[in-house]
Amino acid sequence: MLETSAVQVIARGTDVAFVIDESAPFDVVAAELREHLSKKSGLWSKGDITVNVGQRMLARDELAQVKSIIETHSGLTVTRFWCSPESLGSGDFQIEAKAAPMPEPVHTVAKPEVKQAEEPIAHNQIVLPASSSEEAPLTSASSITAIESIIEGLKARHNKNGVRNRNITEALFIKSTFRSGETLEHAGDVVVLADVNPGAEIRADGDIVVLGSLKGWVHAGASGDTKAVIIALELPSARFQIAKYPGTAPASARRKSNTSASGPKIAYVRSRSIHVAPYAGRFARYNKGVPYDG
Amino acid sequence: MTGKTIVITSGKGGVGKTTATANIGTALAMRGNRVVVVDTDIGLRNLDVIMGLENRIVYDLVNVIEGVCKLNQAMISDKHDYELYLIPAAQTRDKNSIEPEQLREMCVELEKEFDYVLIDCPAGIEQGFKNATSAAQEAIIVTTPEVSAIRDADRIIGLLESSGLHNPKLIINRIAPEMVKRGDMMDQKDVESLLAVEVIGLVPADEQTVVAANRGIPVVHNAKSSAGGAFMRIAARVDGEDIPLMDLEPKNGLLSRFKGMVGMSGRAYSHA
Ligand SMILES: Nc1ncnc2c1ncn2[C@@H]1O[C@H](COP(=O)(O)OP(=O)(O)OP(=O)(O)O)[C@@H](O)[C@H]1O
Ligand SMILES: [Mg+2]
Repeated sequence: MLETSAVQVIARGTDVAFVIDESAPFDVVAAELREHLSKKSGLWSKGDITVNVGQRMLARDELAQVKSIIETHSGLTVTRFWCSPESLGSGDFQIEAKAAPMPEPVHTVAKPEVKQAEEPIAHNQIVLPASSSEEAPLTSASSITAIESIIEGLKARHNKNGVRNRNITEALFIKSTFRSGETLEHAGDVVVLADVNPGAEIRADGDIVVLGSLKGWVHAGASGDTKAVIIALELPSARFQIAKYPGTAPASARRKSNTSASGPKIAYVRSRSIHVAPYAGRFARYNKGVPYDG
Repeated sequence: MTGKTIVITSGKGGVGKTTATANIGTALAMRGNRVVVVDTDIGLRNLDVIMGLENRIVYDLVNVIEGVCKLNQAMISDKHDYELYLIPAAQTRDKNSIEPEQLREMCVELEKEFDYVLIDCPAGIEQGFKNATSAAQEAIIVTTPEVSAIRDADRIIGLLESSGLHNPKLIINRIAPEMVKRGDMMDQKDVESLLAVEVIGLVPADEQTVVAANRGIPVVHNAKSSAGGAFMRIAARVDGEDIPLMDLEPKNGLLSRFKGMVGMSGRAYSHA
């Protein structure tokens, strides 16, 4: 089976995987994803899905595009994005399928399965034909290295009770500046490799790490986890929240925040209020920091 | 010929979008390009006034979109001997009288004949903004070195990105070098670090800009004006020339103390 397109769709049991060529530009991926979804629109029914973006580093607006492509062309609702950094060690496998809870044990794929591009497909896999374009193949079939995008827990026609696979490292990496008016909700950790500007909002069930200046409003542990933390290289933001505890910078810290020579900070919950201290490691012992109680 | 459409936008009103459109358009034409500027500020048209073409308007943008006239009937040729045209906005209609796709279609037509199609965008983030930006392949954002304008610019950049317009370029307009020197106004670095986009031009506050606007002769025609010089250099950069940004110096205007190019790769995407 020679694949020439940037997006392949592989259905396995009730899981559907979109395998995306790592070297393909995002535009191409988006276009092909759109094409695939609309061609096969009959296959999708309403339901929630999560999208694994693998190691591909996506900018926020690209995530938004993926979400809107999937939602407008399939009737599915994308509830979250996640990535599995550890899933992609070597470049020679193509797809890692999550073991989906199957009705009959026969079908169970116990471990993430590693597949070579040319290998025949297992009996329980359905390969939806890729787009029919007969373009020149990529350098080699096996060089379609492994950026995979698994859509798991797809509540497609035959599956009403797909149980989600949880990945321990459900981090979402955001590479570009998070800007005023933009919002994000994510069921895991969020790492922003840029600034979070005033007027932007992020809610994460896990930690929020900002490798830049955090000036917007963020909510870590949004579903109640008081162990969640907020870490930022600069923390001028005067207001944020962890679990149900809102923190407001004391007047002194607000004044200081204008001088950015303050260094990385961590915000955490201690005796039911938010404290901020110089960052000394995610699991270092933090005692009383500066209470952010206004 | 396939030209490109560039929208000039800002979010906040009154920061110099129309001034920038008129001057960059004129300067690009002076450099030998075929240029058309389109005023999409329907209901509040200005570009015709600043370019001194107000009295020659017969048809406008909405007339074209509604098929009342042909595209070239609404194009007003500038008085000079270079290739510069204006498509004015309608004054008696509102922003909802055109759709983004319609403007896009019109610009596709224009791109066949022109090197540059510049769109003067209305302030705000509503329909007028959507119309103007959906027609463009590139965006130039105008801001002043003030917190409020910068906040709006930040919002605009986010909106542009989510509609697929990446890597907008920034013009910082109305810089007062003495104030910057005193520490009373943000400098280029401050603005850049807040917005994380590439700066394509620094335009000083220059009263000649206002004089020029009142006369209907864009300030790039005034060789002595510091703002005019700045817009000429911006046009050159738009045109692909690699000119370093200059420090704006108080008193004797511009000294060519080069500042090293501004980081262009600030917003690289790892996979593209
Ligand atoms: N560099 C400058 N120095 C001095 N005055 C300037 C400069 N740039 C623009 N102005 C003046 O600022 C005013 C507003 O400019 P302009 O109309 O171009 O802004 P705009 O962003 O198009 O406004 P609107 O949002 O209303 O469309 C005008 O009077 C103009 O002459
Ligand atoms: Mg204007």
